[in-house]
Amino acid sequence: MAVKLIANYAKRLGLPGYSSHQFSVSVETELQNVTDVAGESARLYESLQKAVDDQMQQTGFVPPDGYGMNGGQANGNGHQAGNEAGISDKQLDLINRIVRENNANKTDIENMAIQMFGGGVRTLNRMQASNLIDELFEKYPRRNGNGGNGNGRGNYQRQPARA
Amino acid sequence: MNPAPTTETITVPAGDGGRSIDDLLSNVSASRLATFHQCRLRFWFRYLSGIMKPKPAALHLGSSVHETLKFWNRARWHRQTPSLRDLHDAFSGAWSELREADSPQFEDEEGEKQTGWKLLETYFRESPIPSDERPEAVEVSVEADLTAHGLPKLVGVLDLVRPGGRIVDFKTSGKTPDPEQVTHTTEGQTTGYALLYREATGRAESGIEIHTLVKTKAPKLIVTATPPATDAQVTRLFRGIESYVKGLEREDFVPSPGLQCASCEYFNECRRWS
Repeated sequence: MAVKLIANYAKRLGLPGYSSHQFSVSVETELQNVTDVAGESARLYESLQKAVDDQMQQTGFVPPDGYGMNGGQANGNGHQAGNEAGISDKQLDLINRIVRENNANKTDIENMAIQMFGGGVRTLNRMQASNLIDELFEKYPRRNGNGGNGNGRGNYQRQPARA
Repeated sequence: MNPAPTTETITVPAGDGGRSIDDLLSNVSASRLATFHQCRLRFWFRYLSGIMKPKPAALHLGSSVHETLKFWNRARWHRQTPSLRDLHDAFSGAWSELREADSPQFEDEEGEKQTGWKLLETYFRESPIPSDERPEAVEVSVEADLTAHGLPKLVGVLDLVRPGGRIVDFKTSGKTPDPEQVTHTTEGQTTGYALLYREATGRAESGIEIHTLVKTKAPKLIVTATPPATDAQVTRLFRGIESYVKGLEREDFVPSPGLQCASCEYFNECRRWS
């Protein structure tokens, strides 16, 4: 009886402009030597990883700053097309605005999202994005003027939940 | 149909904090919904009349406790382990900041503050949340679009979401809650939270926990856990929102006299209402 070994290697990498790309390769092979599963799987891993890495160096289209921020990509609710619970365009717009107005490093923001949620900004759902924005308000409090409410949100209006 | 109450027979001057009916119809929160269904006249006083009231001491205590728990939850998120001293500093800071902002009415401020800290000490000692558990979300503003159901947007803030989608709401109370009563009286709120979580994540919650910190002489922590919201509970919530919309549209603000009047901040205004 043939014994099969199924292996999959997947990788997702962050790209500028809060985008990312991912690629995975799967193979199904017949195990030649059933006593060497570990060796065979190590060889497959190395081979699949190389295949994925080689391909992922071609980044294809990378969105420029401000891409999709004018509502052209959104549905009526401002949600990302194809992902109803994904970060909304309004949330992305606010994050971009905070980055722009504070000369913040986008990579830092991306890393913050990865540290907090295990994924880049564009992979966040709306709840995660809302909490990321809270963190950004903590990190980049309002810079000038009066009339703030003490929570660092003076420069930004989120239309938060009002009881 | 009931006419909107007039302020002519109410001697308390109106402040400028009132909101419009259109504004209140554009979205709805669990607490606003609960106030409306508890007593429509109280709702009118609180949200539409513009009459401003000082924050009760108990509410100030609850807000300070909430802020400290938020600090603790955020610290765990960032893989930090704050000491009891750090937590006490956070509580004192929150107490002072909120006192500045809200000017609450105290009879014994020091006593209230000690009560608040004792509640927190009890919580940190007895909490079912491990000190190294990383939250899924902390004090997060979320909203759910209910236009497909012909209803306004539902908005709210989730105190804490534990890993796996377990929603936690913190409460302080003067009385030891009965689990069945808590489940019943908070149903609108917990179902709303479930909907908000589903809409903002695309996943169903795994359950809901109410963590009640009880201000008895020896403080207690009571955790009431409920399963995910059912379709019947969601329908019940929608009916409640529908009633809210219709009530506001026809300006139906009749009073509902009952036991709750004993603690109503608008008792005097209500007596003069006609």
